[in-house]
Amino acid sequence: MIEMKHVSFAYKDHQPSVRDLSFRLEKGEFAAILGANGAGKTTTVRLLDGLLKPTSGQVLIDDADAATSQVSERARKVGFLFQNPDRQICRNSVREEILFGLRTVCGGEGEEALQARTEEVLKEFSFTGEEEPFSLSRGQRQLVALASILAVEPEILILDEPTTGLDYRECCHIMNRIRRMNEEKQVTVIMVCHDMEVVLDYAHRALIMAGGQLLADGPVPGIFRDAELLEKASVLPPQMIGLGMRLGDGFENACTPEAMAEAVMARRKKRSVPHE
Amino acid sequence: MNNLFQYVPGNSLIHRLNPITKIFLTIIICAAAFITDRLLFLVGLLAVDMLIGIIAGVADRTWNIFRGLLKIAVFLFLLQVLLTRKGTPVFWIITDQGLLTAGKVVLRLVVVCMPLALVLAVTRISDLTNALVQVLHVPYPYAFTLSTAIRFIPQFLEEMAEIMEAQTARGVAFDKAKGLKKLSMMLPLCAPLLISSVRRTDQTAAAAEVRGFHLRTRTSGYKRYPFSYVDLGTVVFCLLLLAGAIVL
Repeated sequence: MIEMKHVSFAYKDHQPSVRDLSFRLEKGEFAAILGANGAGKTTTVRLLDGLLKPTSGQVLIDDADAATSQVSERARKVGFLFQNPDRQICRNSVREEILFGLRTVCGGEGEEALQARTEEVLKEFSFTGEEEPFSLSRGQRQLVALASILAVEPEILILDEPTTGLDYRECCHIMNRIRRMNEEKQVTVIMVCHDMEVVLDYAHRALIMAGGQLLADGPVPGIFRDAELLEKASVLPPQMIGLGMRLGDGFENACTPEAMAEAVMARRKKRSVPHE
Repeated sequence: MNNLFQYVPGNSLIHRLNPITKIFLTIIICAAAFITDRLLFLVGLLAVDMLIGIIAGVADRTWNIFRGLLKIAVFLFLLQVLLTRKGTPVFWIITDQGLLTAGKVVLRLVVVCMPLALVLAVTRISDLTNALVQVLHVPYPYAFTLSTAIRFIPQFLEEMAEIMEAQTARGVAFDKAKGLKKLSMMLPLCAPLLISSVRRTDQTAAAAEVRGFHLRTRTSGYKRYPFSYVDLGTVVFCLLLLAGAIVL
């Protein structure tokens, strides 16, 4: 469980980036923080991990105040995937990179156990282990960063724009891994994302922010159907929901191409009945 | 620390000086600091540094630079005091000669570093580059390299801070370690920093190429850098300062 209680934060000599933010994420939830640039999304996730200290308010991780422990001490519990994987990668091979994270966080478990876990993760992510991380593509490097975080099996995973700069295939690859962790191991996931299609496909809950404040918090499809809210937060809905909203008349609930096709077919069928 | 090398906009007397005059003033202060052997003269040079900062309207920045240098200065002072054996003992192994030498070393360090940082605070990097090319006839690629290197300093510092933050989130105890331990923990981070630096340099080079880097000549810049009476006055002041350092 991770919770923010009336958290506000201002960078030095600046206006507050986050104002009176309160929300709670239960174990196994998959939430997305949405909003325009400068809405306070990245500041919020950095506050959640403790990389920033709140000016006022509290961040609670499993009911314990995050201010009472150091970020490095919480690395086993909270994993943070940065937008730029090159900030995280610091070893010359993928195997060493995964081992580095494991040795840092789970050093007490013995070298043999860590080696075994590394091999397991390498297999899971389809790496041989000998690859040089900095010679890989951007998507592959992001995958290495994700693998080294997931290797330590955190209970909470924070993702700061994890799919930026990735093509569709790489994006799906990474997001599917994250979804699997969320579903199989009940890892709580909170991500900042600008790709609404990704949010619709993967997240269950959306937190909409604007001007450092939380405007709305609710299930993803419902949030995307609130045109006034999206307008206020300068967020565009996913294409299919946008189309459904424009068509109206029963099409609003179709948020995937399959659902839209079904709705269209049903309408055609309904129209063809009087002619029969 | 990051913004210590950034330009502070302004229209002060120092801001309006020709960039070459500012470089000349910096060089003369450095030269005077190394030539003189008098502690009092070094204190005077420090006062000149401070005065330049105040006239330029960057007193806060000057104080921050001074404070930043003070940390290194204290370390150097202690090293000198503890290692110098010449002179009459004053306390424990500390001698009067040791104290005097340490004071001079530390003052020299501060006096030399401050104008270098201040010149960047009161001069746009582009003006510095163009003036070097136009007035001193430095080949543009060299001037560009120098200005790019200066421009990259705050970016590298920022990048290092981001890398350390990312590693802290992975469990590396940067938030707990201090001093030499922290320094030893930073060594593995040189790899990502080096790689991102090379990537950035490559990108900058490519961007410069596509914008016609090689077409640029000494006369390409539209801005001119004439010398004024204030520049002349500054040069005279510099010469007096140098003469003072030699004579006194």
